[in-house]
Amino acid sequence: MAFLEINGVVKSFGGLRALQDVSFSVRQGEIRAIIGPNGAGKSTLFNVMTGLFPPDSGEVVFDGVRITGVLPFRIIRMGIGRSFQITNIFPRMTVFENVQVALFAHHRKSRNPFGMARRYPSVAAEALAILGQVGLSEKHELSASILSHGDQKRLEIAISLASRPRLLMLDEPTAGMSRFESRETVELLRTISREQGLTLVFTEHDMDIVFGISEKIVVLQQGGVIADGTPAEIKANPRVRKAYLGEETTES
Amino acid sequence: MDLSFLTVQVLSALRQAAFLFLISSGLTLIFGVLNILNFAHGSLYMLGAYFIYALTLHLTGPAGFVIALLAAPLGVAVVAVVIEMGLLRRIYVQEEIYQLLLTYSLVLIIDDLAKIVFGPEYKSIPKPDAISGAITIFGGTVPVYTLLVLGLAPAMALVLWYLLYKTRTGKIVRATSSDREMADALGINMSALFTLVFAFGAILAGFAGALAGPARTVFPGVGTEVIIESFVVVVIGGLGNLWGALIGSILIGTLETVGIVVFPEFEMALIYLLMVAILVVRPWGLFGRPLKVKALSDKNLGMEAQEISPVHFSMHPLVRLIPLALLLLVPLMAGRFYQYLLTQILIASLVAIAFNLLLGTTGLLSFGQAAFYGVGAYTVGLLATKAGFTPLPALLLAPVSGAVAAGLIGFFCVRLSGVHFAMLTLAFGQLVFAIVYKWYGFTGGDNGIQGIPIRPLPGGIDIASTQAMYYFALAVVGISVEILRRMRSSPFGATLKSIRENSQRAEYLGVNVKLYKWAAFVAAGAFTGLAGGLYTLMEKSISPDMIHWTKSAEPVLMTIIGGIYSFAGPAVGAAVFIVLNSYLVAWTENWALVLGLILLGMVLMLPGGVVGFINEKARGALTKRGWVRKWLFSKSTAS
Amino acid sequence: MAYLDLNVINTYYGRSHILFDVSLSIEKGEVVSLIGRNGAGKSTTFRSIIGLTPPRTGEVIFKGERISGLRAFRICRKGIGFVPEDRRCFPDLTVRENLEVAARREKATDTPWTVERVYDLFPRLRERERNLGSQLSGGEQQMLTIARTLMTNPEVLLLDEPSEGLAPLIVSLLAEMILRIRKEGVTVLLAEQNLHFCAKVSDRAFVIDKGSVKYEGTMKELLADDGIKEKYLAV
Repeated sequence: MAFLEINGVVKSFGGLRALQDVSFSVRQGEIRAIIGPNGAGKSTLFNVMTGLFPPDSGEVVFDGVRITGVLPFRIIRMGIGRSFQITNIFPRMTVFENVQVALFAHHRKSRNPFGMARRYPSVAAEALAILGQVGLSEKHELSASILSHGDQKRLEIAISLASRPRLLMLDEPTAGMSRFESRETVELLRTISREQGLTLVFTEHDMDIVFGISEKIVVLQQGGVIADGTPAEIKANPRVRKAYLGEETTES
Repeated sequence: MDLSFLTVQVLSALRQAAFLFLISSGLTLIFGVLNILNFAHGSLYMLGAYFIYALTLHLTGPAGFVIALLAAPLGVAVVAVVIEMGLLRRIYVQEEIYQLLLTYSLVLIIDDLAKIVFGPEYKSIPKPDAISGAITIFGGTVPVYTLLVLGLAPAMALVLWYLLYKTRTGKIVRATSSDREMADALGINMSALFTLVFAFGAILAGFAGALAGPARTVFPGVGTEVIIESFVVVVIGGLGNLWGALIGSILIGTLETVGIVVFPEFEMALIYLLMVAILVVRPWGLFGRPLKVKALSDKNLGMEAQEISPVHFSMHPLVRLIPLALLLLVPLMAGRFYQYLLTQILIASLVAIAFNLLLGTTGLLSFGQAAFYGVGAYTVGLLATKAGFTPLPALLLAPVSGAVAAGLIGFFCVRLSGVHFAMLTLAFGQLVFAIVYKWYGFTGGDNGIQGIPIRPLPGGIDIASTQAMYYFALAVVGISVEILRRMRSSPFGATLKSIRENSQRAEYLGVNVKLYKWAAFVAAGAFTGLAGGLYTLMEKSISPDMIHWTKSAEPVLMTIIGGIYSFAGPAVGAAVFIVLNSYLVAWTENWALVLGLILLGMVLMLPGGVVGFINEKARGALTKRGWVRKWLFSKSTAS
Repeated sequence: MAYLDLNVINTYYGRSHILFDVSLSIEKGEVVSLIGRNGAGKSTTFRSIIGLTPPRTGEVIFKGERISGLRAFRICRKGIGFVPEDRRCFPDLTVRENLEVAARREKATDTPWTVERVYDLFPRLRERERNLGSQLSGGEQQMLTIARTLMTNPEVLLLDEPSEGLAPLIVSLLAEMILRIRKEGVTVLLAEQNLHFCAKVSDRAFVIDKGSVKYEGTMKELLADDGIKEKYLAV
């Protein structure tokens, strides 16, 4: 059985079919991209997969457990981390606190109302280690809101890593980054995936990145899967070309 | 039930609905377009009534009355234009709470100005003879004026409908309320439109006041009564929805009339019960939709939002002991008046700091904290009077009852946020108020309970003495504040902050956001209840006034004055508030005016509060001096 | 000097830098395409021109006058019309009301757009005149947002991905509309991902990728240039 399975997911919004019969599967440790033109349904698929709203039909199975209809916070506790397209951090907390609070949640310490947050040396060490991993150690005392966009994205990845996910879902992880920043981020993701055996599922519009790091790619168009395969297969696929270029006939 | 009685009741319900609709249609229109819930709307209503009062002093006869009826709302519109262009316009890009507070400061200012100009007494407005009589319909006696109202209000509703649906400007108003940015890109001048809509909403409120004035009476506090009713109407109907306002007005008008006839004891409670019932089933009201965060950024109105930084230096632990030492020494230096004043400040500080666990830490604006304060106070009062409890066990049960009340109320409120959360907590608070106010058999009704017997504490300490009470309050508040402080610095507190900053992200950390909001609400309720219990011990008398919604506004004001993002801020605010209150009351009768002006100034100029301001300055001045920083402050953390 | 000029503009969303030194110039009466993939910066370019997300540096010049820095409603009143990509017709207004609220600048041209004239252009809208914006299909909403912007009598029309998510038949209808709008003397700047849709209606094209302009040339040249297509537009 696959690590993550999407089986026949359908989702409509007020008559508009956002996803129609989407199925594919991801094995453990894989780096998988989901691409498609605007409005193809990538974000909707992400939201269904992480429990923001349930699909009309179909199911998502993670590591043998059906997670459709499960509330987001429970899905996260099962080992799925998620980052968002629009940078999603805790802006008016320090960089360190951003990761610390995620670790509290992960270690089930959030509910402790009396111990001082700074008296958790193991959590602090872990937070600093994660910040080191994403290259933010030196900025850990700053307010997250004053970071550059690239640093904020990195912080978001750090927050997601803090819940020690087995599957990390990233919605356009390099959006708004400079070329240099994106390259660094991609390297970072690749390293993390390799070292920790983390499965990555991501959407991205930067094709250099998509083809640079993913092992398999699934292509959505108007809510349906039009291709699913290795980067080479996707590049050669005439339907994909058409979806992107709007060609009416296949040209060579 | 005979026909004459029924006729009279139906017409009276409709008249009530007519007034409610005139007020709430303007309120909901302003909310729909400007996204501001205008607390001062009731005060605009009051101005309408005072203006017609002033005008009819000079204009007599039917013609004079008609002129006054038309001129009064226009006068209100002028006031509204000044408010919108001079004040509101500066804060459209600020957070919701500052908009609410600005309009609340206007309530204090306008009400007190009215008192200065027109005096504190009830005024009745003479009607011309032609419309002051009564006629008989189906055997029931109906005032002619009621018929006039029942003619004019629907006429005004028709005018409103015509303007919104048949004129180009009206269509633009409707378009803008669904998509501001698009309207902007289509060449619509948002600033001018906002002024227009605010003025028009004010005309509706002013007309309601001018029309209702002669039927009811007018007095300086009438606005705060009217505004709550209209909040109930628009929240039931759905914020920003005109049909909702119409249906809501008819529902509430009918319920009030039926309530007076069938359950005179619980007429007031009924409308809040209805509101709670509707919001539990439909959290956005009957016709409402969940509010989208409307993209209104600097570009729409040509300005930039001011960011209030919650990252503070926290004081070194030893530095924190200084105020405690001072507080211990006070009775040696100060007389009983100051001890009493300080006891008041201590109790208010506890309420404000507990409140700020919700607002500053979790980002929830509760407008119903007075309910828990009252529940705690009545718990101690009733146990001491009716069950002969001694102070300690009675006081121990105050936070328990506060927590239970908060647990029940919070269960319904925590799925909401922003204005809806504020309104639902307000409704629950008023529900508690209405019950306590009318339940003579148990709570003493509006008389409250006087002369509560306070027996000595174990060891013979008589807290009836001012000094003993001061030390007792200092001990209880000191321990509570320390618990609250630890709570805020704990992993739990950090999690609450993360919910404030980004509740969706918090959910995706695996945090059960609703549960945490609920827990914070219960904790705040418990400490507020405890403060209420202390109040009973100090004053030995209680009354429903302490549960009224205006009391719920106090911790909000204290927190804003002191500083929302610092732990000590609310306590500083409480001290400023109580001291101002005590001294200004002696010095001027218009202390609300002064308070309103201070609040207005804070919202416009120091949104971070006094402590936020000092912190900002201190950071600038002290970061350079290494040793000062080392001794005074420990690491910077987000509050 | 060109009719509409973007001179080295840089635009940010908060702290994130989106457009890098974008320069475009458009002549009167042209239909020019701005082609790029998702997130390339097409919408941001449009929002920079109309003033919804004003550029932080650089300037936008329209008919010799600097318009960057003006508020959106002023820029609209200067004669620039913006059709956003997500079809934001006013959902609670009828089709006719959607058009009426936008009517503006009738005196700016000899043959101003009226409700009747846009109905002639989009007959489908006449049939649905009394329906609410929220009751329209995707294609109808797209027509309505275009028609609504025409009611402001723009001299330049910014069309953001009009073909997105529409059935092929509607897309070719749309191409026809654009050509007719051009005949009325309106200059059109078209943002698209669909290269072949652009080929039908425009003469010149800019290719934008990662916030900067990578290519400028005639549509023919672009169609023939497999290198550019491969690099910036295809997968």
